[in-house]
Amino acid sequence: MGTTASQLGKDLLSEYQELTFLTKQEILLAHKRFTELLTKDEKDLPNTRVPVERILTLPELKSNPFRKRICHVFSTSEYKDGSLTFEDFLDLLSAFSDSATMEIKSHYAFRIFDFDDDGTLDCGDLEKLVNCLTGETDDTRLTTEEMRQLISNILEESDIDKDGTVNLSEFQHVISRSPDFVSSFKIVL
Amino acid sequence: QNLVKELVALSTRDRIHAIRDLPISLDEKKHIRWVLMGKQLKFIRFLLLSQSFRRCGYSISSARQSLELWQGIMKEIGGKFGSSVLIYFVFLKWLLMFNIFSFLVNFGFITIPLLVYNPFSSIPPNVSFRGLEILSGAGYFQHTVLYYGGYSNETLHVLADYNMQLAYFFTIAVYMLLCGITLIFSMDSSFKKNYVLADPTSNSAWQLLCSWDFSITNERAVRQRKNNLRVQLKESLSEKAQRELLTLSEKLKHFGVYLGSWLLSTGLAVGCGASIYYLYAANWSLLQEAETLLVPFVVSLMNLVVPLFYSLFNKFEPYSSQRRQIYALVVRNVFLKMSILAVLCYYWMNVVAKKFSCWESVVGQALYRLVIVDFLFLMLGSFFGEFLSNVIGTRLLPRLGVPEFDVARNVLELIYAQTLAWIGIYFSPLLPAIQIFKFLILFYLKKVSLIQNCQPPRRTGRAAQMQTIFIALLFFPFFVGALSMVAYTAWSLTPSEQCGPFRGLNSTFSVVGVWIDDLEEIAGSQWAVWIYQHVIRSEIFYFLISLIIIVIMYIFWQVTQGRKQLIGLLRQQIVNVSVFGKISLKC
Repeated sequence: MGTTASQLGKDLLSEYQELTFLTKQEILLAHKRFTELLTKDEKDLPNTRVPVERILTLPELKSNPFRKRICHVFSTSEYKDGSLTFEDFLDLLSAFSDSATMEIKSHYAFRIFDFDDDGTLDCGDLEKLVNCLTGETDDTRLTTEEMRQLISNILEESDIDKDGTVNLSEFQHVISRSPDFVSSFKIVL
Repeated sequence: QNLVKELVALSTRDRIHAIRDLPISLDEKKHIRWVLMGKQLKFIRFLLLSQSFRRCGYSISSARQSLELWQGIMKEIGGKFGSSVLIYFVFLKWLLMFNIFSFLVNFGFITIPLLVYNPFSSIPPNVSFRGLEILSGAGYFQHTVLYYGGYSNETLHVLADYNMQLAYFFTIAVYMLLCGITLIFSMDSSFKKNYVLADPTSNSAWQLLCSWDFSITNERAVRQRKNNLRVQLKESLSEKAQRELLTLSEKLKHFGVYLGSWLLSTGLAVGCGASIYYLYAANWSLLQEAETLLVPFVVSLMNLVVPLFYSLFNKFEPYSSQRRQIYALVVRNVFLKMSILAVLCYYWMNVVAKKFSCWESVVGQALYRLVIVDFLFLMLGSFFGEFLSNVIGTRLLPRLGVPEFDVARNVLELIYAQTLAWIGIYFSPLLPAIQIFKFLILFYLKKVSLIQNCQPPRRTGRAAQMQTIFIALLFFPFFVGALSMVAYTAWSLTPSEQCGPFRGLNSTFSVVGVWIDDLEEIAGSQWAVWIYQHVIRSEIFYFLISLIIIVIMYIFWQVTQGRKQLIGLLRQQIVNVSVFGKISLKC
């Protein structure tokens, strides 16, 4: 099932309402914004997949430091190229919506921060995470010594089983102690 | 699959929520749902019916959401400025709800019966409406239902016997009680979410990293946030090193500076209180309408200027963390406002109550003036605080830069304004109407000022903790202070003889005594009389209740200590298991 016409059917709308955390207005708005990204021929095809470059032109994602990882995580394409269908887009908005639960948000946050997709956050992932958030160029990065110290602080705080990596449960545990997470892990159209 | 078996066992609504909570893609969710529906072919008719019910429910809830006040504006502000600035607007909306409820209750139960019974009572013929009344609240307004004095003490015969005294007393008592309960519950839920779970000592790296605000869309804001995050991370790394480096003389110097600034700020607050007392005491001989505005003017001026001095002191003090700096500033501002309010209340209850014949209306007028002048000063403060800072920061002294929205100071101003309204409800039942008007205008004013003049905050503030603190501050000392003042007035002070619903009684609270005496003659209400005499009026009851509460608190505290120990043991166990696992793999 996909979206062919420029209007969403009532059945489809209520199904999306049940399966995601979005309200009716949010789903309709998402549909409108998604179809604006499509070219004229693509609008008639069912289940179009929008390539990642076009998704990244959305103003909500354009300046986000994690934009490529977000597209990659929510994409269901077999080529792993980050392209999104409308349903992937709804998944994205649902996970980032106001009413999504802490478990959903922390699960997806973990997958976004896991840069090498191996299921754990090791030192390489954490280093990339910090660099993403502090700066890309050489003069804005932390020095090697500071990075090492920071990563060891992070691991000391969250690595409960002391294996040198942060797995999903440890990540969720440390996130549950941060009450600001739920309100800042939000993207609203 | 096990998942499908689990889901089949749930009810329809739980099943939908359970599927929604799965962290899988929409495609897979649809597949699971289809599988589940396949297992339920016998109940197809029931399914269709429940589906249509659910769709009805969704459309109702989406209609309700679109009616919610200011949704769109809040999302816009949250997106541009982050969640710490949003706290101010959420708080404003919450307080507005309190005032709307209060106005509806007061108007409905107290004012409407009086207006229906006797529309234009007791206005002396030679007093007419002049413009100045809006500012001063005296004159024409004095005889209307705006103040306590406009209410009669009779039992109105409108449809049934409506006892105005009981209505007045119980409306205000029940409203204050409901306010208190709401505040306690929201404080409690906020505290549980934001304090107990969060580790208060950690300025930890994870907290900083995970509080990255995904909803910021502005490129420049993102760059600024990255810079600030880097600075904060570096600070948190060096903080641990720095703490051991202070020598004894430096520590003494810091201690001296702290002591000096605390003494100075306390002195300022006490000085403000004393000067207001003397100003009030000297001024009551002249009752010209324009001059009665002098005291509220001075009060609001102090509330505007003295916090600026406190911010100045703050800059000179060496604080180890930014959070302590904000806490110190907040405590000093609270102390200033409480001392001003305490002096005013003391003056009203001890001097005004004995001096004037219709003293409750006089106090009501004084509060009205305070509220109006406070409103004017809030608007001016917005102008000076934000607009001028912006102009100075961008044109005259570019080094300062564009100002940030000072959430703490603005929220404290809101709390102060609400306290004035709470104190004033007893003396002027329609004061919440003015408060509603004030808050509505303030919302739009602050929103425009914010968007035009301010930049997003540079530091990722601990929004959730600040919210807890503000709610806690609203409750204690401000709400508790207002409640105690009203309670003291109702309990100990003699109502005035010539006006108001409680004339002729010894104290306001004796209304209840009179009512209970009346009830004793009506058969079937003996239980109410019994409860009153043996529960509410007896001291042993309160003593026993306090004792039981203390015992329960002690038991809960012990349980918490036990659980903390358990957490430590379990952590150790996890480490042991993983180490053991690695060893056994190697073998």
